[in-house]
Amino acid sequence: MASAIKIDGLTKKYIDVWQKQEVVAVNSLNLEVAEGEIFGFLGRNGAGKTTTIKMLLGLIFPTSGDATILGQPMGDNNVKQSLAYLPEETYFYDSMTGWDLIDFYGQLFKIPQPERSRRVQQCLEKVRLQPDAWKRAVRGYSKGMRQRIGIAQALINDPKLLFLDEPTSGLDPIAHAELRDIVASLKDEGKTVFLSSHQLADVELICSRIAIIHKGKLLTTGTIKELVEGERTEIVAQGSALQNGVFAKLQSVSSTATKEGDNRVRLISSSVEEINAIIDLVRGAQGQVISMVPQKRTLEDVFVETVRREDGDI
Amino acid sequence: MIPIAIAQQTVREAMRRRVMWIFLISGLFLIAMGPVFGFLSPKDSQTVLRSLGLAAILLAGLFITIVTCIYLIPSEIERRTIYTVLSKPVQRFQFVLGKFLGGFATVFINIFAMGLVFLVLIYSQEHRLPTDMFLGVVMTFFQMLLLAALSIFFSTFSTPVVNFFLSFGIFMVGNLSSVTDSLITNSNPLVSNAGRIVHYLLPNFGNFNIQNSIIHPTIEIKNPQVFMMQNIIYAVVYSLVLLTLAVLIFDRREV
Repeated sequence: MASAIKIDGLTKKYIDVWQKQEVVAVNSLNLEVAEGEIFGFLGRNGAGKTTTIKMLLGLIFPTSGDATILGQPMGDNNVKQSLAYLPEETYFYDSMTGWDLIDFYGQLFKIPQPERSRRVQQCLEKVRLQPDAWKRAVRGYSKGMRQRIGIAQALINDPKLLFLDEPTSGLDPIAHAELRDIVASLKDEGKTVFLSSHQLADVELICSRIAIIHKGKLLTTGTIKELVEGERTEIVAQGSALQNGVFAKLQSVSSTATKEGDNRVRLISSSVEEINAIIDLVRGAQGQVISMVPQKRTLEDVFVETVRREDGDI
Repeated sequence: MIPIAIAQQTVREAMRRRVMWIFLISGLFLIAMGPVFGFLSPKDSQTVLRSLGLAAILLAGLFITIVTCIYLIPSEIERRTIYTVLSKPVQRFQFVLGKFLGGFATVFINIFAMGLVFLVLIYSQEHRLPTDMFLGVVMTFFQMLLLAALSIFFSTFSTPVVNFFLSFGIFMVGNLSSVTDSLITNSNPLVSNAGRIVHYLLPNFGNFNIQNSIIHPTIEIKNPQVFMMQNIIYAVVYSLVLLTLAVLIFDRREV
């Protein structure tokens, strides 16, 4: 499948004039997003997600590296005909009505009338903004309504590729679910979505692949299935000697070992070798393995582990 | 089409600003006070009415232009509305041009309103069409065109506060062309050269003022048509240069 986004060694450095320090916001990022997929771009606050998106859209300029968007150089004005962007914490010209605002963005794409009006209506309906709000000033909108308007402005040009930066943050559960479903439905329409989000449950639900970025550096990328599927097994063992001398040995095999009541020890093992070593230690200490349950990791587990490992906390 | 769409949106936003209405109402109030002040000095009532009216339009126009134009680009960046605009197929020059046109259209609407009230007031007093005053209003209009371009130019790289002092300061210095002209003839070469740079580089806002010819009848504009055309060409060319520089700077600016 063709690439919607191909990033090659993208780097952004800022110079802190007062501190005379160089801040690396994005560090030699290499990434490829296929056409038609919903790609999750994950990272902590300040990891470099928004900086990357802004470079791809030509809002800021890279220090080095390159990228192509739908086969064209990033920032190219022609390719923007097929792009959409919903910034984090969207602000709009709030004296305008919802309808006028989307119509204004339609004018920026030179969409002629009456086609423009038809599309404005279509977009407002798609994001499920109540019709009585269409002719009201945006300043009176709730957070959820603003996010809906934000997605509507992103859809006015029927884009091939959408950059969505935290589209569901700060919403009530109903609005959250509705907007998540709208984003998920974009895939069915053949659109590519580059989704930056902290809502890992959403990402796990709707994204096919993800990348984790931390301190400007790409830590991992892959399909959700690849990343969450690990050979993790929870083992519970019991024996009078397990909480004494053998416990330290168990901990050296798996740092997750914890003591529980009834002379029990609980461990998480992430490889067959670890499981065998644990069983050997338990049986050598005259103990018994009570249960072995294979565990599926969540995306949150993957994210936390990946970031902590990079920080040296694991 | 894109600059026009941005300009329309800019006018809509600018007309909502309360401070602009304060300056407009103050200007209209001063114009309306002309006959009252004229009544207090019966010998020069027409001179008072005319000079006060033009001064009111100039002052209100000056502040409306500055407070409108210094915020046009910085507020878009600060409120992040610029992200949703520049991520669309909008070239940066189209954005700057749209903002300038919108800012200037706002100034035009205000000067037109004040000018209309002023000219109607004079007509009601003198029962004839005041062509010289019409010329004065048109000159103020082009003076503000130049000032709007200057403010937009500064707004591409400075904060609104810095922009205010720069625009206001240059407007003041630009109105003192006789002073900067006299500096050129100074015997000190340093002063002379500095005066030459200031005199020729900064926009000559003083050229647009016709108040002197009203207050001092000895100062006469010999050929009003030529005077008007020269100033209009000067304002348009200088504004184009400033806008070109603004586009060049903004094209390299990260938002």
